[in-house]
Amino acid sequence: MVALDASGERLAGDRRHLGRSLAFWLFALLAAVAMLSLGHGASGVSAPQVLLDWFTGHEIARTDRVVLFDIRLPRLLTGMLVGAGLAVSGAVMQGLFRNPLADPGLLGVSAGASLGAIAAIVLGGLLPPAILAAAGWHLVPLAAFAGSWLAMAVLYGIATQQGKTSVATMLLAGIAIAAMIAAVSGLIIYRADDQQLRDLTFWSLGSLAGASWVKLLAAGPVIAAALVVSPLLARGLNGLALGEAAAAHVGIRVQRVKTAAILITAAATGASVAISGGIGFVGIVVPHLLRLLTGPDHRWLLVNSGLLGASVLLVADMVSRTIIAPAELPIGIITAMIGGPFFLWVLLSNRRMLDG
Amino acid sequence: MRLQARDIRLYLGRAEILHGVDLTAHAGRLTAIIGPNGSGKTTLLRALTGEIAPASGNVVMNGRDIAGMRPGELAPIRAVLPQQSVLSFPFTVAEIVRIGLTSSHVQDDGHALIRAALSRVGLPDHAGRLYQELSGGEQQRVQLARALVQIWHPVGSDGPRWLLLDEPVSSLDIAQQLTVMRLAAEYARQGGGVVAIMHDLNLTAMFADHVLLMQEGRAVAEGSPVDVLTDHRLSGAYGCCLQINHTPSDGVWLLPQGAGL
Amino acid sequence: MIRRVSQAAALALSLALSAQAEPHPDAQRVLAIGGSVTEIIYALGQQDRLIARDTTSSFPAEAQELPDVGYMRALSSEGVLSVKPDLILSEEGAGPPETIAVLKEAGIPFETIPSGTDAEGLTAKIEAVAEALGVPEAAASPVAALKADLDKLSAAVGGGAPSKRVMFVLSLQGGRVMAAGQGTEADAIIRLAGAENAVQGVDGYKPLTDEAITAAAPDTILMMKRGANDSDHAAATEALMAIPAVAATPAARNGAVIRMDGLYLLGFGPRTGQAALDLHDAIYGGA
Repeated sequence: MVALDASGERLAGDRRHLGRSLAFWLFALLAAVAMLSLGHGASGVSAPQVLLDWFTGHEIARTDRVVLFDIRLPRLLTGMLVGAGLAVSGAVMQGLFRNPLADPGLLGVSAGASLGAIAAIVLGGLLPPAILAAAGWHLVPLAAFAGSWLAMAVLYGIATQQGKTSVATMLLAGIAIAAMIAAVSGLIIYRADDQQLRDLTFWSLGSLAGASWVKLLAAGPVIAAALVVSPLLARGLNGLALGEAAAAHVGIRVQRVKTAAILITAAATGASVAISGGIGFVGIVVPHLLRLLTGPDHRWLLVNSGLLGASVLLVADMVSRTIIAPAELPIGIITAMIGGPFFLWVLLSNRRMLDG
Repeated sequence: MRLQARDIRLYLGRAEILHGVDLTAHAGRLTAIIGPNGSGKTTLLRALTGEIAPASGNVVMNGRDIAGMRPGELAPIRAVLPQQSVLSFPFTVAEIVRIGLTSSHVQDDGHALIRAALSRVGLPDHAGRLYQELSGGEQQRVQLARALVQIWHPVGSDGPRWLLLDEPVSSLDIAQQLTVMRLAAEYARQGGGVVAIMHDLNLTAMFADHVLLMQEGRAVAEGSPVDVLTDHRLSGAYGCCLQINHTPSDGVWLLPQGAGL
Repeated sequence: MIRRVSQAAALALSLALSAQAEPHPDAQRVLAIGGSVTEIIYALGQQDRLIARDTTSSFPAEAQELPDVGYMRALSSEGVLSVKPDLILSEEGAGPPETIAVLKEAGIPFETIPSGTDAEGLTAKIEAVAEALGVPEAAASPVAALKADLDKLSAAVGGGAPSKRVMFVLSLQGGRVMAAGQGTEADAIIRLAGAENAVQGVDGYKPLTDEAITAAAPDTILMMKRGANDSDHAAATEALMAIPAVAATPAARNGAVIRMDGLYLLGFGPRTGQAALDLHDAIYGGA
C-alpha cells in the first residue's frame, strides 16, 4: 500500500513526501473541477465565452451575467468552502476522538444546527415582526449556526471539569444531548404544517441552491478562518494518537489542542450546515480515503482533506444541478448515494487494516 | 542533578494511593522502582512525569518544581515510556518515532536520528512497517525509540535528561530484555538519569544502581541494591518467601523466586 | 416561517411595484409554478405560451410533457433560467427566497398569484393570471364556468339537508390516521361542498388518536386517489377499516368512503367548483 523506498537517503515509512505531492495533485484537481463547475449548468451558459466578452469589453447579456456571477460563482465558492470545512472537521474530530468513524455530530453540532433550523422554520413566524424583518431570509441559517454553537457549548461545559475536557464524557453526553435535541425537534415538528414539513425535509437533504453572495460573505470567513488555523493542530493530533498522557509527555498542551479542535470544528461545521443544510459522508469518506493513500500523519492529512473535500462537493453539486435539470436533486442525496457504497467498498477492501 | 520526589501524597478518586513517598534519583544512575502489584509504582511514576499532580508534596527535576512547568518545557528534558500504548490509526514505525521529535534539537529532517534510535532498540529495518502489525515486544521497543529521540543526548547544556520507563521489558524475550536494559544503563552511564519500574528482580539486581521498594503506597526501603534486595525486605514486601543467592563469578545475584516454600 | 417571510417579502415587493399583476401580453415563454396556475393557464386557452412547469403541475396530462423545474419551494435558479422564461407566474410560497431574488436580478418578470379558497378568491386568482398574461378578456369564460358550478353548488347546499360531518384522511401511517384539521385545503373544500369538517380543534394535518376518531364520529370519510385509476381502492378501504376506531364510525357502518383525485380536490383552480359539486353529490348522494 505504501510505496517504500529503501534506497537512497529517504527513510522508509516516512510518507510526508507522498502527502506533499498528493497536495499538489489535489490542488490541480480542485482547480480543474472548479473550472468545470463554473462552465457547467442547466442553462448552458458558456463561462469562457462570457469571460472573454467581459475582458474584451463586449456587451454581456443580463441573464448570462446573472448565471455566471450571481449563481455559479457564489455557488462555486460556497461549495468549495463547505466541502473543505466538512472534510477538515471530520479529520479533526477523528483525530480528537481517535476513531476513524468520528464526525462533528459527536459534538452535537449537527443536531444543534438542525434544531435551530427546525425552530426557525416552524416557530420563526412567532417572533416579533421587527426581528423577523431584520433577519429576513437569513433567519434559518442564523438559527442553525446559533443552534450548533449552543449544543457544542453545553456539551463542552458538561465534559469539562477543572479545566480538563474528557473526550469519553463528551462522547457519552453527546448521545444524551442528541436524544434530548431530537425530542425537542420532534415536539416542534409536531406543530409544523405541511409546507413547513416539506421545507424541513429539503433542509435536511442539504443544498447549495440557496448560495448567495450575502450568505457567502457571512459564513465564508468563519469557515475560511477555521480552515487556515486547522494545520496548526497537526502535531497535537499526531501526539493524541498515542493517547492523551503520551501526547503531554512529548510536549503537547493537550487541553489546548482539544479546545482548539472543538472550536475549529464547531466553526467550520456550524457555518457549513447553516448555509447548506445537512450534507453527509464528506467528513468521513474524504479523510478515510486520504489515510489509505498517504497515512494518518495529520501534517498533510488536514490540508489534503480540505482540498479533496472541496473537489468532492463541487462534483456532487455538478451532478445535483444537472442530473434532472432544469430541476435540482438535493446534494445530500448525491453525497450519500456516492459516499455510502464507496465507503463500504473502502471498508471491505481494507478489513485487515481496520482490525489491526 | 537529581530528580526528587518529596512526601508525595496522591489520591485517585477518593482512594489514597500514595501515602507520602520520597524518592531521590541521581543523574548518571539507573534507579529502579520495585514492589508488588498495586503498591503504587505506576502512580508514583505518573507523578514524576507530571501527568498527575499530587495532593501534597512535590517533584523537583534538575532543581525546578515540575508543577510550574508547561508540557513544552518538560518535553526536552524528560521522556516517558508508558506501560502500553494503544494506537488508533495505521501509522508506520518511522511516523511513530517522529512524534517524539520535538523540533528543538533537530535542524534537518530527522531521518538520521530516527534511524539511529531504531538501531539502538534493535529494530534497524522496521522503519517502513506498520506499527499495528508489529508484535507487542516490537511495539514496546518502537515506543522506546520514540522516547529516545525526544531526549537523544543524555546531557544538555542545562543539565541531564531523564528517561522514565514503566516496565520497559515486560513483553520482551530474554535477549531483548538485555538489549533494552543495556541501553538504559548506557544512557545513565553517559550522564542521563533513568528511572524504571521493574518487575524482574534479577534484572533489577543486574542493572540498577539505586532501588526503591514500595509496598501499599509507601516507600519501605530505598538505597543501593545490596541494601534493599535482602531476603527479609523482599519477603515482607511481596508477601512470600524469597531467598537471595550470590553468584560467585561476577557478583551478580539471582533470586530463585518462591524458593524455601 | 419561510413562507411568512417570503410572503412578507413578496408583499413588500408587489406593493412597491403595484397592487395588481402587471400585464405581460408579449410574454411568449411562460413558466408556471403551482398546479392551480398551470390549470388556469390551460383554462384560459393560453397553454401555447407555456414552456415549463413545476412538479406540482400535473393537470392536465399534457402539462406533464413540459420540462419540470422541480418542487416549487426548492427551485434552482439556474434550472429556472435554463428554460429561458420571459414571464414566471407563481402561486404564493415559491422559493427558496435566494432563488427568487436571483430571478428578479436576472430581470425576469415574476408575478405572484394570490391564493384563494372561496368563490371570490378563486375568481381573483383566475383574473390575476389572465391579467398577468395580458388577456383579461379570456378570464370571462372560465370565471363564468366557475360561477355556474358554484351557483349550482349553493342551490344544492341550500336544499336544507342536515349538514354531514366529513373526515379527510391524508394518509395511514402504520395504522395511524393522519387527518385534516383547520387551515387545510381539505377543510376548505369540505366546507365549500356544504359539509362540516368532523375534525375540530386541530390545526393542519395531524395524526389522530383512536379516541379523537371516535369523538369526531364522521358520517363520511374522504381520501385521495392514488394513481390515475385508483386500482388500490379496495385495499386502501380495507386498511382503513382495519383500524377499530375507524370501523366504529358512522361512515364505516354506512360504507361512506369517498376517494377523489388529490389535485382536483385540493388544487383550488378553475375546476374547484366542479370538484366541490362532485364532493357534495358524493357526500349527500344527490345527482
